[in-house]
Amino acid sequence: MATLYKTAQTEFRDVDDVLDERERRSSIKQRVLMVASRGVTFWQRHLMNDLEALMPHSRKEAKVESKQDMGVLNELAEIHNCNNVFYMEARKHQDLYLWISRAPSGPSVKFLIQNIHTMDELKMTGNCLKGSRPILSFDATFDSEPYLQLLKEMLTQTFGVPKGARRSKPFFDHVLTFSVVDGRIWFRNYQIVERDAETGGELTRNAKPTLVEIGPRFVLNPIRIFEGSFGGPTLYENPRYISPNAVRAAIRTQRSAKYASRTAAAAERDARVQANPLPVDPLKDVFD
Amino acid sequence: MSDDEERVYSESEAMMVDEDEETALEIAALQQADLLPQPKKTFANRKDALAALVDEISQSGLEWIQRCDITSAAPIVVDSIENDLERELKFYEQGLEAAIQAKRLVQKAGVPFARPDDYFAEMVKTDAHMARIRQKLLSEQKGIENAEEAKKQRELRKYGKKIQQEKLKEREDQKKAVLDKVATIKKRLRSGDMGEADDFEVDIDSDDGDASIKPARGKKTKGGKPTPGSKRQRKNEKFGFGGKKRGMKNNTAESSADMSGFSVRKNKSPSFGGVGRRKPATRPGKSRRQRGH
Repeated sequence: MATLYKTAQTEFRDVDDVLDERERRSSIKQRVLMVASRGVTFWQRHLMNDLEALMPHSRKEAKVESKQDMGVLNELAEIHNCNNVFYMEARKHQDLYLWISRAPSGPSVKFLIQNIHTMDELKMTGNCLKGSRPILSFDATFDSEPYLQLLKEMLTQTFGVPKGARRSKPFFDHVLTFSVVDGRIWFRNYQIVERDAETGGELTRNAKPTLVEIGPRFVLNPIRIFEGSFGGPTLYENPRYISPNAVRAAIRTQRSAKYASRTAAAAERDARVQANPLPVDPLKDVFD
Repeated sequence: MSDDEERVYSESEAMMVDEDEETALEIAALQQADLLPQPKKTFANRKDALAALVDEISQSGLEWIQRCDITSAAPIVVDSIENDLERELKFYEQGLEAAIQAKRLVQKAGVPFARPDDYFAEMVKTDAHMARIRQKLLSEQKGIENAEEAKKQRELRKYGKKIQQEKLKEREDQKKAVLDKVATIKKRLRSGDMGEADDFEVDIDSDDGDASIKPARGKKTKGGKPTPGSKRQRKNEKFGFGGKKRGMKNNTAESSADMSGFSVRKNKSPSFGGVGRRKPATRPGKSRRQRGH
């Protein structure tokens, strides 16, 4: 810090400017703006907090009104000096969409987040340093398609902690795995344990380390890839994506099908009865 | 790029990201689910544009230590997406492969991999959280131990029961053996082998056969319950004791065909509506008649 002040004083500049310049000079600078929309549930917020803990190069911002024009996010990113935006958009207090965008010029991806398990769950027993750099592990499937290659590149830049990032620790003690299964991207976070599982001592040579899951877990279902940041022409559209609204609607229609068929049958009967009136009985008044 | 793709591209250009886009997606999904009539729909996948973008934003020019990404050798293939165990194992293997490979690469770049033991810093999960996890693990462990202990106890109890049954059987056998002995002795006595009968303290003739087994009335057997007296036993035999009572007195084909209880004489008796033997006229003799009046 002292040297920073010295530089600032000799050149009559602000300390922050000097800091920024230093960062700019470093070979890579990824900063991620992390924003949630209004209406996120506590579960979704916890997921965001977990991810923030894992990404020391992120900058958390107050909630954004989701109905607003998303161009605001680009401006926000510019204000905070971020070149990536990680925007969690909650809809109907239940669905969570994730936008990952390279801020000013794109591209951007929209995912649906499914199967969320946060770090709070007691099943996941691993732990890691706050701010240590992750190893990003990708499934080989990512190289099979251009859109997956693009997703891989974007995920690397967003989730990877750049070397020497502020608040980061210079060690590696966890792996983030991204795997493509069933057309979705599955996210897992494991701690690397380099200790003997039984003795607790140092690993012998050639012995494999073990992995213990830290969490969180979630599944990203890609919806669309846009050329611009939060907009622009669509480059990719997932043909297998079904929106959760459609799923819910289908369930509802299935449930209402029974009632609908009953009412339809009743109406049909009414019509039939009206169309075919009973013939008048000629012997009706015989006994009167 | 084919013409088809071009058309989709120009269409989608007009489609900006807003609520309309969401509804369009929903319609697409409904169409997929065969709930709406399905117009011919093409999904954008502009491979060349995507590839160009990858080249544009790629960081592959950087040293590996800046990126720290590792791609697995083989793609993940799972038989069933629902099979959690298989799926998670595949993810684990992928992570492990990356961890091993990364360690080599990190050390090659001259950067420390694992943190030293004396390096303490804030962790992602707090100590309190880790304590809770440990507590849960311990309680789970304890639960497993308890369950195993209970299982063992159950087994033991089952074993104990078996032993008890064996013991009872042994007693029964002993009793039988004694009775057999008695029977043989009796036989020998009858055949006159034994000589003096008076030497034998038991009055053998009086208790023959089953009667010898039946203990006296009200006496307690070894089981603890007093045996009912002979009258009660007879009654039990006759009227039933335990078991189903319903329908016991109903006629059956056999019982109605059974004529063993039928006697012609009884049938002709007045109590059965027969005439029976007439009582002779009760006219006294002459002398009695003359005496009386």
